[in-house]
Amino acid sequence: MKSAIAVLIAGVLLCGLAFCGFYYWGTASHRGLLHQPTPELAWLKHEFGLSDTELTRITKLHDAYQPHCAEMCRRIDENGAKLKTLLTSTNAVTPEIEAALTESAKLRTECQLDMLKHFFEVSQTMPREQGRRYLAEMQRLTLGSHEQIEQSMSGSAGHSHGHK
Amino acid sequence: MKTESENPEPLRRVLNKWRVTEPLPPRFQEGVWRKIQQAEASGKPVATATAWMLSKAWLAAALPRPAVAVAYLSVLLVAGMAAGYRQARQTTAHLDNELGLRYVQSIDPYQKPSRL
Repeated sequence: MKSAIAVLIAGVLLCGLAFCGFYYWGTASHRGLLHQPTPELAWLKHEFGLSDTELTRITKLHDAYQPHCAEMCRRIDENGAKLKTLLTSTNAVTPEIEAALTESAKLRTECQLDMLKHFFEVSQTMPREQGRRYLAEMQRLTLGSHEQIEQSMSGSAGHSHGHK
Repeated sequence: MKTESENPEPLRRVLNKWRVTEPLPPRFQEGVWRKIQQAEASGKPVATATAWMLSKAWLAAALPRPAVAVAYLSVLLVAGMAAGYRQARQTTAHLDNELGLRYVQSIDPYQKPSRL
């Protein structure tokens, strides 16, 4: 009976060890990405199979884009706060609200244009096929998600207001 | 040289000489029947206990055999490897999504975490 128990325990231990070993081995590369100084760029390198030179070029483009992105964030937040204040202080559409909404739309267009320019620049530093994949993926994740929001809004408006 | 199992004569002689002199305890037969009736009346628990005892006995007899032990260890090894690999794939897919999202958030002002 003792040897049977020993074999049983050995089996359970072996199973646990195999699980941990395969899990550790299978996630090693991704866990490595998380410990990089910029995990998102390390992911980009991993996902699109980029060389160190390509990543260096992309990092430069990314760093150059960041101040502009931060400025856009500031303007979007500022306009959003202004619109919120205007909306809480009145019960009708005022010219100020109209101006804030126009500014909001302008900011979105400007933001999308800047992103597109950045995506094109980044995709051009990649090998052709990877660049194409990057561009498609980024358009889906950024402009696509904006479109989805707009479509869902127009869809729900259509249902609730009965537009044809 | 023949063993006892091949030549049962000595064993048979010993068994023939064996006499039980000890008397049975009082009301032995009645006690046996009572236990049988109790076991039949209780039904399921006795059946489970029997199945458990049988499994235990089977494991105790089978597992120490090298072929069974190797097969058992191999099955558990493969199961552990498969489960680890599957779990690793789920985790990497999750990390891929998370890091991809972080990259997008670093570029798209409308997807910054503070704005969502």
